[in-house]
Amino acid sequence: MIQFKNVGKTYPNGTKALQNVDLTIEQGEFVAVIGLSGAGKSTLIRLVNKMIPLTEGSLIVNGDLVESLQGKALRRFRRRIGMVFQSFNLIQRTSVLNNVLAARVPDMGFFRTLLGLYSKQDKLLALESLHKVGILEKAYTRVDQLSGGQQQRVALARTLAQKPKIILADEPVASLDPITANQIMKDFKRVNEGENITIVVNMHHVDLALKYAKRVIGIHKGRVIFDGPSSKVTEALLKEIYGRDINDEDIMFKDEKLAK
Amino acid sequence: MKNWLNKLTYRHRSLTLKDGTTTTRPLQFDWFYALLILFVVVFFYQYIIGAYFDVISYPFFFSRVPNFFTILIAMVSDINWAYFPQILDPLFDTIKMAFLGTFMGSLFALPVSFLASQNIMKNRFVSITVKFLLSFVRTLPSILYALIFAFVFGYGTFVGTLSLTVFTFAISSKILYEYIETLDMGAFTAIESTGATKLQAFTASILPQLYGNFISTSLYSFEINIRYSAILGFVGAGGIGILLNDAMSLRRYGNVSVLLLGLLALVLVTENISRAIRKRLN
Repeated sequence: MIQFKNVGKTYPNGTKALQNVDLTIEQGEFVAVIGLSGAGKSTLIRLVNKMIPLTEGSLIVNGDLVESLQGKALRRFRRRIGMVFQSFNLIQRTSVLNNVLAARVPDMGFFRTLLGLYSKQDKLLALESLHKVGILEKAYTRVDQLSGGQQQRVALARTLAQKPKIILADEPVASLDPITANQIMKDFKRVNEGENITIVVNMHHVDLALKYAKRVIGIHKGRVIFDGPSSKVTEALLKEIYGRDINDEDIMFKDEKLAK
Repeated sequence: MKNWLNKLTYRHRSLTLKDGTTTTRPLQFDWFYALLILFVVVFFYQYIIGAYFDVISYPFFFSRVPNFFTILIAMVSDINWAYFPQILDPLFDTIKMAFLGTFMGSLFALPVSFLASQNIMKNRFVSITVKFLLSFVRTLPSILYALIFAFVFGYGTFVGTLSLTVFTFAISSKILYEYIETLDMGAFTAIESTGATKLQAFTASILPQLYGNFISTSLYSFEINIRYSAILGFVGAGGIGILLNDAMSLRRYGNVSVLLLGLLALVLVTENISRAIRKRLN
């Protein structure tokens, strides 16, 4: 369970990225955070695993008070939270398997990491993760030879190898083409339903958010202005969240009509 | 003159397409032409005007040119094949010096280059200080290091190994940190988000990206070191250089040519092996 209690974030340069955020996300939910770029979506997601520390309020994740976590406790806390990025953030020039295995690094000693001596269990876990996202046959290929969609799957497999309770995804499909984006969202949905992993995903594209997430959180200028089931999202509401009419850039599949 | 300059800088500057659209290239400083002009000026000043005031006059210069060929002819005609077995040991010393020096120098360069890279070393004071120290190490000519080490440790291959270590360290640390600064830090963030320490994230995400470049930088240093170790012999670092120095000062040009052929063969072999390995690293 993720609980935001009156959370705010002010950056050192004075920018108020988030203000008065009150949210409760239950285990196993699939939540999409939508809003313009710069609205505070990325900040919201990164507060959860303290990649960015909050400045106001309080945040409780699975019983841990996030703002009080530091050092070893913070690292142990992060092991159960996976993260997926817009630019995949894979280790270039190495194999798919090594990338997935990198998720096991927190449990390993320095020399094992240095020499890449992963245990058999870790390797099996990594291979299972790759199997779950359907790219087991690419395990020994170098990541830079894969397409964008395949690379994002590797990133998802890496996250699964952490055995996470929560997956945070920061614009995971923004740099993919519509077809691939759709497939990646399906992967997220499968992981969400099959393993009861909480998914919090940032998206710019309204149609994909409404199609896959059961719950939508709309952010405008650092404030949550909508929080509810995706079926309740109206065009008027979207206009409020985006501060303007929805245009082609906000939609992945331009020929499909918005769900109302 | 003005017309000529205009032709250079304004050549094809404005071009008009079929439908009348015109594009204009912004004026840019052209480094090639700037360096060309600098070269002409310096050359003219040094060797055309300057020659009047110089010790070496043109007649003297041209009268000495044939001497070069005298030595060259002596090297070819007096070639002393019987000398060959004697150079094998020193040649092998040269290889050992170059290998040990390259290995140690590259190994030292690796951690130091991380300290110098601004994307890894967030403390700007440290990275700038390390960069400054590295440029200081590079400033001193390598032959000076060899001379200093020879004073301290006496003559022999150890001096050569030590000098080549410093030399390799100086060049590969620069090549490495400039490469590290271009690396993508996204993977580092990703591994850190899994709960790894900074050191673990670094070992798992940055080192694999560096591997190929590190090996190829080391191989490149090794090639240079093989050639360079011959010069180091002149100041007392063991290997083939000592023999080369002796043969030159005793004017045994027949021996010089054998030594040079031996060195040439060695350089060709190392360059080809190194190229083959680097090709596989792609």
